[in-house]
Amino acid sequence: MSILEVKGVQYTYDNKKKVLKNISAQMEQGKMYAILGPSGCGKTTLLSLLGGLDSPTSGQILYQGEDIEKTGLANHRRSHVAFIFQSYNLIDYLTPMENVALTSKLPPLPILEKLGLTKEEAKRNVLKLSGGQQQRVAIARALASDAQVILADEPTGNLDEETAAEITAILKDSAHKSGKCVVIVTHSNELAKEADVILRLRKGELQILERIEQR
Amino acid sequence: MNLGLRAVLHTARKWKKTLLVFCLLLAITTLVLSGLAIADAQEEQAEELRGTTGASFTVERNLSTGGWSNGSGGSYSIQEFLTEDMIQRIATVDGVEGYDASLITLPHIFNDKGKELTHENYSFYNYGSYNSQYHELFLSGRFEVAEGSHITDDMANGVMISRELADWNDLKVGDTLTGIYYPQNNTPAVDMEIVGIFDVAADKDDQVNMYDDSSYYDYSSFVFCSMEAAEGLLKGWGEKGEGISEAYYYVTDAAQLDNVIKKAQSISSINWNNFKLTANDQVYQNISNSLSDTGTLITTLIVVITAVSMALIVLILFMSVRSRNRETGILLAVGIAKPAVILQYVLETLLVAVVAFPLAYLSSKQVAGILGTLFDKAAENVIVTPEHFLLVAGGGGILLVAAALISCIPAMRLKPKEILSQME
Repeated sequence: MSILEVKGVQYTYDNKKKVLKNISAQMEQGKMYAILGPSGCGKTTLLSLLGGLDSPTSGQILYQGEDIEKTGLANHRRSHVAFIFQSYNLIDYLTPMENVALTSKLPPLPILEKLGLTKEEAKRNVLKLSGGQQQRVAIARALASDAQVILADEPTGNLDEETAAEITAILKDSAHKSGKCVVIVTHSNELAKEADVILRLRKGELQILERIEQR
Repeated sequence: MNLGLRAVLHTARKWKKTLLVFCLLLAITTLVLSGLAIADAQEEQAEELRGTTGASFTVERNLSTGGWSNGSGGSYSIQEFLTEDMIQRIATVDGVEGYDASLITLPHIFNDKGKELTHENYSFYNYGSYNSQYHELFLSGRFEVAEGSHITDDMANGVMISRELADWNDLKVGDTLTGIYYPQNNTPAVDMEIVGIFDVAADKDDQVNMYDDSSYYDYSSFVFCSMEAAEGLLKGWGEKGEGISEAYYYVTDAAQLDNVIKKAQSISSINWNNFKLTANDQVYQNISNSLSDTGTLITTLIVVITAVSMALIVLILFMSVRSRNRETGILLAVGIAKPAVILQYVLETLLVAVVAFPLAYLSSKQVAGILGTLFDKAAENVIVTPEHFLLVAGGGGILLVAAALISCIPAMRLKPKEILSQME
């Protein structure tokens, strides 16, 4: 059974420009999905609809078969999904440990150490960490939450190749080893190739181009 | 992590912003507390003034309604005089602090050996008085009691004389004098005891000290005696043509003068067609207007300081919240509810206030006196009280919460998606 389902979703800007045209898709736990497409095609819009940051003009987003509009968007954001952003979006006056503790009651240090941060780094001002370290903190924050769905918007966009590969591996592990449903918005073919399912958005329509079984 | 901990961490780690808001709150609260203390000092001064400026009303015969008659000395009004009963009834009206009336006679006065006293004029200028402390000459400061006491309405035959008269005639408090209005007409002799001696503080030749009825009399020839004694002097001569024409009533609170007059006018046993009642509160009105202007200025300053300060705080908080749109978006995106985010921002402001307000209480105690002198208030009279603090802390707390809420409105109106878009 799919954990997240997009059902006949349309999205229109200012009642004029149709960004998403009656798209449907199903997403399962334990898989990593990549949404590919050119700039302005509606990738981030689709991600925000999946995460309950916005509502579709028509159609439904279902989480475990229930319409997230009915169960509450704030509740959906709080309990079902976790975001990872290209620009990390960490709270600048909190340490990495405190950023992770925003969404988790679990001790944050083991998670951060698992993702490669030292104890000292975990207590440092987040702005003094490198981009890769900041993204690891953002991923730790997502993993530490109870959310079963991780929504990542260009998670490797600001990172060098080597660090990007490491982050991609972490996200894959989150799907394959931790059983999360990971949805990544990207226009990096390299990152998309690592996904189990690639969803291509073009002119507002969604095409499931490939289905690669990598497990 | 709960919102309380987030608020504490933000307040501590964003110390420059915290310091800015702290300094602003400290300055505003100090100014408002000082303003309230000055306003209270102003009110106290006004209250004191209302009780000490001597606002009064005069009850006098209405000569226009009583008719006239001709006598040997020319025409005279046959309007009724004020009686002791009338005077006492009016004196019992709520708000009347004291009263006096004058029955003027021009007697000759003799010592206990029967020798007429040495003095400057042909006779003495004698005021029959109920309470000489309320006589214009004493109230104005022209005369001051030097020894003994004033004439009071419980005395039957007291008399007050001037220091000069006492010195010239070797008289002292307790000595007995005898007054006779017209010795040549065998009017009654009235024995009186000296109860007080007054100093003349004013120079009668000064224009400002001219006193109409006694233009020809030197102040040293002025005498005050009990009303009963004055009436005794009149017996057998001029009783029908002489009497109490005016009575003066001084009120406790000058601001209540009109009310007291209305109460007096409601005494039904007095035929008010025969008497005129006039308010004398020009001095109070003049000072009161000046005080009122100062009071209005102080109140306006407090309101303006508070309003401008609150606008400034709203602006700073608004800019602060706006600069935290990213943080707001992150918090919303990780599932923290909008009310919790707003509450965090409100709490941060209150945390600063909790420190700033008590410090402002201490600083205002130092500053209020200095600021008070700018408004002609003695520094020791400008006191910041715990009540002022509670008022400012309570009211200021509510205003701060309102300011923090207002500054959150624009950010909270954004949809999470819009915030996400802004963050990209």
